[in-house]
Amino acid sequence: MSAFLSYLIHGIAQGSGYALVASGIIIVYRVTRVVNLAQGMFAVVAGFGTASLLEAGLPHALAEPMAIVMAAAVGVCTGYVAIGRRGTNPQASLIATLGVGVFAYAVEVLTWGDQPRSFSGLAGSHELFGVDIPRQYLLIAPITLLVFAGLELFFERTYAGKCMTACASNPYAAALQGIGVLRMGLYAFGLGGALGGIAGVLLTPLQPISYDSDVSLFVNGFAAAILAGLKRPVLALAGGLVLGVAESMVAGYSKASYQSSLALLLTLAILIAQATRREALHVVEE
Amino acid sequence: MRQGSRSAAIAAFAVAGFAAALLLDESALSVYVLLALTASVTVGVSLLMGHAGQVSLGHGAFYACGAYAAGLLATHGCPTWVGLLAAPLAAAAVAALVGVPLLLLRGHHLAFATLALHLMFLSLISELTITGGDVGLRGIPRLNVAGVELTSTRSYAYVSFGALFLIVVVARNILASRPGRALRALSSSEVAAASSGVAVGYYKLAVFALSAGFAGLAGGVYAFYMGYLAPGSFPVMLSIEYIVMAAVGGLGKVSGALAGSAVVFLLVHGLSRVATLSGMPSTAPIILSYAVYAVLLVSAVLFLPRGLVAWPAALWARARSRSSSAADATDAATQPAALSSAAAPAETVAPKHGSFS
Repeated sequence: MSAFLSYLIHGIAQGSGYALVASGIIIVYRVTRVVNLAQGMFAVVAGFGTASLLEAGLPHALAEPMAIVMAAAVGVCTGYVAIGRRGTNPQASLIATLGVGVFAYAVEVLTWGDQPRSFSGLAGSHELFGVDIPRQYLLIAPITLLVFAGLELFFERTYAGKCMTACASNPYAAALQGIGVLRMGLYAFGLGGALGGIAGVLLTPLQPISYDSDVSLFVNGFAAAILAGLKRPVLALAGGLVLGVAESMVAGYSKASYQSSLALLLTLAILIAQATRREALHVVEE
Repeated sequence: MRQGSRSAAIAAFAVAGFAAALLLDESALSVYVLLALTASVTVGVSLLMGHAGQVSLGHGAFYACGAYAAGLLATHGCPTWVGLLAAPLAAAAVAALVGVPLLLLRGHHLAFATLALHLMFLSLISELTITGGDVGLRGIPRLNVAGVELTSTRSYAYVSFGALFLIVVVARNILASRPGRALRALSSSEVAAASSGVAVGYYKLAVFALSAGFAGLAGGVYAFYMGYLAPGSFPVMLSIEYIVMAAVGGLGKVSGALAGSAVVFLLVHGLSRVATLSGMPSTAPIILSYAVYAVLLVSAVLFLPRGLVAWPAALWARARSRSSSAADATDAATQPAALSSAAAPAETVAPKHGSFS
């Protein structure tokens, strides 16, 4: 029972991180029709950035937010490369984000070296139902919930949020209303960068990250996004949690190396099922 | 005339390749072998991306599949030529099998699916005991052809160039024949191709399997050349490198794949040689190679969507249209799909200037 509980809490923490990455993927995809292959990189940048800032002597209250802002700025730059040039179609943008991700490898190794890094998050642990649980794990889920609530408010209540929704729904009509579609796309990339950054800041204390951690973060984030149907960011929270807990259970009760394959197989099955259904209804899609 | 110049180009390519294998010195030959193998895979990737409009982030896995097929057969007592023959067949068979469900997907979904394939293949070979797990497969015998054991690097240069030449000839012939026309048709519009009687699903699967077979053959040669295989030799980055080379050279053209892989591979190799000079930090080689791949990929996608081989033609056309009227635009519509005209229709909305927020 106590093993189950610790797997569960571990899975929720991990899944919250996936959900944050996934929501970034979804927002960028909805607004720009581009799947951002560099989404995992934002988390890595923020994780490394926080570690450096903390080493430089900054307090936690400053280091983490600064790293997240940095990730958002990197997001805007990524967006500029991917969609900034007029007439870049989604496939070309997809490959451009891949290029940005690889370029980030070079910058990350140059700045932070090729060894995994970490920093200590909240110290100490709580005892819950007879299980010792590090505080950092307990911190992640509430923060994630707050972030998602904020996202919901942003899209429902703010002008920029509504403009983004308009671009996602119909870019042409949005442009006719005077909304800068490109600008909204860049905002979406910036928001995606910040969300990835939050994931990186929260997850790095649990597990050291290295410059190529972005592949597994992207894969799991995309899997969660697919579970959410690539539609609303809030659904990604459910998708991420389901995925995180399932992986944690598989890793706990069978073998750790199976957990990523499980996520991949699950996602492939869903994608293929969706594709066959879509095929029957209307062939010309994407 | 057209046919004649094509044959002449092929013959010149063969002469140049074999001459290089004959004349280069030992240290250059090891680069040559790897270049020929990389180019072999890139031809297939380019074919798939340019003519079937599909992005594959998993061709490193097919390369690995061919390598492990050859290595496993050879270490279990099969003659080495059987292993080499089995390598492309195994990779193509795997591709044909997984391609049936996978090719229902398009665009970024397929890109993700092939990436997933690569990751799952890696975790499979590092789990199985028969492949040696993480430690790898050791003691693969040298290639043995008609009783002669090939040990020198030069002999592998011949073998790898032979494989590349075979692949180039097959790819060119396919492109110039009916299946090639069908592929060009489906790359611009699957619906239009299907309504003109092209069996879209069949051709996509066939070109997927064929390009995997190319990768498998190269992998088989690699296994015998290295004599040792480990999951670490086939990172995800490998699959990305092929895409970079195909995109830089120009998608869908055999000459583009060859030019792209030669330029990118030699550039990265040259820079990594500079980076290993004394006084450079130990991480310099990987930093430089990542940076080169990234910059080349992004600039090829954004500024040179038809690739290096179309560059002179584009410059020429621009100069001509500047001097004469602008009427004779390049025959963009008749080109095989480049990135800018590939399967997905572009969002045509031009961003307007102002914005409120």
